[in-house]
Amino acid sequence: MVWSFLLAAAWGGICYLDRTAAFQVMLHRPLVVASVTGAIFGNFTAGAQVGAVLELLYIVRLPVGASIPPDDTGAAIFGGAAAATASSSIGLDPGSFTAILLLSVGCAELGKYADRLVRRVNGRIAHLTVERVEGGDFLAVENGLMAGFVLFGVIGMALTLLFSGLGVFAAGSLLTRFGPESHFQFSVLLPTIPLLGAAAVFSCSRTDRTSPVFYLTMGCVFAAIFFFRWLG
Amino acid sequence: MSGIPQHVRRKVWFRQFLLQACWNYEGMQNVGFAYSILPALRDRYEGRPEEFSRALKRHLEFFNTHPAMAAVILGSTIRLEERVAEGTVDPRAVGTFKVGMMGSLGAIGDSYFWGALKPMASVAGAILAFVHPLLGIAMLLFLYNSSHMALRFRGFAAGMGGEESAVRFLKEAGFTGKTEDRKMIAAILSGAYGGVVASQTAHLFGGAWPELGVFLVAALAVHLFTVFFRKAVSPSEVLVLLFLVGALILWQ
Repeated sequence: MVWSFLLAAAWGGICYLDRTAAFQVMLHRPLVVASVTGAIFGNFTAGAQVGAVLELLYIVRLPVGASIPPDDTGAAIFGGAAAATASSSIGLDPGSFTAILLLSVGCAELGKYADRLVRRVNGRIAHLTVERVEGGDFLAVENGLMAGFVLFGVIGMALTLLFSGLGVFAAGSLLTRFGPESHFQFSVLLPTIPLLGAAAVFSCSRTDRTSPVFYLTMGCVFAAIFFFRWLG
Repeated sequence: MSGIPQHVRRKVWFRQFLLQACWNYEGMQNVGFAYSILPALRDRYEGRPEEFSRALKRHLEFFNTHPAMAAVILGSTIRLEERVAEGTVDPRAVGTFKVGMMGSLGAIGDSYFWGALKPMASVAGAILAFVHPLLGIAMLLFLYNSSHMALRFRGFAAGMGGEESAVRFLKEAGFTGKTEDRKMIAAILSGAYGGVVASQTAHLFGGAWPELGVFLVAALAVHLFTVFFRKAVSPSEVLVLLFLVGALILWQ
């Protein structure tokens, strides 16, 4: 288990760097993050199932200017670890699956605050960099940038350890409270979460032209599946 | 034609991927921009420490744009700096050019990459993940990065050709049309995704009329969520609301 956490921390550090500090090649997207985290904790498919739903949920919040969207990478780390651990112990029933998706909100919000904190500390680093360049130290730009880079990476690794730990803990002790034997009927809510994701993408792409197209496609796909099921 | 050696250009091109490594609220991408352009400045101002210092300080001023679109500004700025070093352009033109470009390119990039391309790639990946997760991941990464990397590469090259070449590149790239197209594809794919989810739920009820009822409820739910999003309600708030509904109302 220790190796799993260490591997997850290394992977999470790369994903968090990709999120803001470097590359932006979409390695930090929940589908990718949750699948790999799931594989690290023993079940790639369970992680991917969570990641596929989380992928669309927060997309409506754009990282424009100084605004920071919820940390869907953190939510995916939690979800991937929890789903993989649960699937190999208590089983991943619809109630537990829904609970994982809903509980991941806490990680998304906590990650957002951590990101804000890193950017504040970076402000101090940038200030020092400018001061040192004015003093004639031209290497300060490279050192300042590396300090920011390392800070993003280290905080990313720490968050990954925290979120994957919470995911494993939730799978062992919390999810049993949401399964079929429990008092909660969370599985009833399951269809609403992917629909929330569809609405998030639709909100991003909403224009006068796309509105009718969205509902028309939804209706056509529904009718086509109904028709083929009726045909047998 | 630019006199910057090929190995210096390559260094700057790779360094652009760290533009946001020291992102901060005051200068935003200022340290990242200075870091990216540093090899070109060292090359142009070799043996002229005073001018090099002034040039470096110019690039530590506030800078913020979309990270992928920064490639165009970076290339053009290097070209401008070359002319400043030759003494044919006023150094103040560099700051004016960057300020003029970063706002408009930031808006274009945010709209194209965050508002159209990313949702399109994400929903395509999520749909294909139903077939096989690896297929979904591959599609997401391919759809996004084919466009992202092409812009980083071609935008930088166009910028290195000078401001006019950069403007020509941006005009020919047709971001407005591409954004509209990607948004349309994202709407179609998200509609298909919603239809699949609605039909999976409806199947549990059985019978034509109950299934139709479920579809209408699903369409209404999507509409309600989009209204929430338009009123700036966060997805987290909706999920917390669902959690409370699950914990308080669905308690047996």
